[in-house]
Amino acid sequence: MLDRIKNWFEIRIGLKDLIRAQLTEYRVPKDINIFYTLGFVAMAAFMMQAATGFFLLVYYVPHSEQAFKSVQAIMTTVPYGWLFRMLHAVGSNLMVAVVFLHLASVFFMGSYKKPREMTWLAGCLMLLLVLTFCLSGYLLPWSQLSYWATTIVTTIPTAFPYFGDYAAYIMRGGEHVSGVTLNRFFAIHVALLPFLFISILGFHLFLVRRIGISSPPFGEKNEREWTEYRHEAHSDGIPFYPHFVFREMFMVMIFFAIMFFIISFMPTLFLPEDANTPADPFRTPARIKPEWYFLAPYQMLRLIPNKLLGVVMQIIIVALFILWPFFDTKKERNILKRRLLLGVFFISIAMWVILAVWGRYS
Amino acid sequence: MKRRGFLKLLLAVFGTTAIAFLTYPLARFLAPPAEKAKGKQISIKRSEILAGEAKSIALNNTPVIIINRQDKGFIALSKVCTHLGCIVEYDKGKKRLLCPCHAGTFDLEGNVISGPPPRPLPKMPLKVEGENIVIG
Repeated sequence: MLDRIKNWFEIRIGLKDLIRAQLTEYRVPKDINIFYTLGFVAMAAFMMQAATGFFLLVYYVPHSEQAFKSVQAIMTTVPYGWLFRMLHAVGSNLMVAVVFLHLASVFFMGSYKKPREMTWLAGCLMLLLVLTFCLSGYLLPWSQLSYWATTIVTTIPTAFPYFGDYAAYIMRGGEHVSGVTLNRFFAIHVALLPFLFISILGFHLFLVRRIGISSPPFGEKNEREWTEYRHEAHSDGIPFYPHFVFREMFMVMIFFAIMFFIISFMPTLFLPEDANTPADPFRTPARIKPEWYFLAPYQMLRLIPNKLLGVVMQIIIVALFILWPFFDTKKERNILKRRLLLGVFFISIAMWVILAVWGRYS
Repeated sequence: MKRRGFLKLLLAVFGTTAIAFLTYPLARFLAPPAEKAKGKQISIKRSEILAGEAKSIALNNTPVIIINRQDKGFIALSKVCTHLGCIVEYDKGKKRLLCPCHAGTFDLEGNVISGPPPRPLPKMPLKVEGENIVIG
């Protein structure tokens, strides 16, 4: 029976040739390391978010008077509703962590360099989209935490003269965060962002396949100058399937192991008390803190006395990060041979960690 | 101009016009309808707020605090922090208004004492009429 199904597809799409060309004879560098699997882990995380998000939509009510109750009902009365909500909430945090790690490892391996600038840009755009996913999804439970986090974020544009107030007004659909804002964020979260994310993900994967996976820059390498398009094939490499795919699956299992560990033993890690209190537009909770991935920018906003300067500085830092391949045009990919870049890399990470910890405990 | 060039130009002009015509309705669609003029007033008894105490009310959906300052009398201030929109809270002991989000501090006139807020808290119209305080 299985053979007949395979044969049916073989006649129509050339299945064997497809598997041979795209999986078994497709080679990846023989010295490829575990960090190269993070892109696949991020993609698996996104697929899980899409699936659990769909299940939550079955019960969630996007209305300011019912959103909080519907989320509480998912957590308490819907059979296994808590599981899908926790998978979605914890999964979003872990997905951000995986995307951060993926970008950091790509940076460390120098894989953003010519001819892969567009692949880097697409990756950075996906990071921004993931953060927008988190922001828009954060409001949906209509809790104190979500309400005030959204108030802060939608007030940031007011730092800009002339158009800032209007931009904030459009984002909120009024002067304050309200039910109108909830509807806007819901529409963005479930209809606009998935479409954008999948489009850019497709472009990203196309580029990875079209150009070929970059090899780690360490050790003796004799890399040819990129003066014209060529596919970087690794004829002496290992087969993508089964060798590399199994490594990827192993990392996906680690990802899920961490997620279930958090759900089982640290269920309030990403859902503090204010996440279980209904939104009150007249009271900001004391000592409210953003999610861990926004702690560093949050602390920067606290430290810089001028709001416009604080916001502009953050935009410049993000723009510098995204456009880095166009500033760093040196041929040398091995960061260990570039002490200054290595210093910038570790100092940037250290600064981010210090600001985040400072923001969390100040 | 050749026919092909003319058709390209025509397509560009019509395309741009169509997008321009769609942009305006889209911008209007996303902008919420203008809210009606607000002229609501709230009246409370003077005796409700003792010297050194404060009371929070909602005036036209804006959180407002009325403070009975021991030396200067009543004042009504918006509770919305001018930094990023969080709600400030009254610290009776320190005689300050504190923002829980980014640690902005205001005095009881609404002036910024410390932290990142760029402007003082807006003052709300307040009148003392006999035994009543009228805000708004």
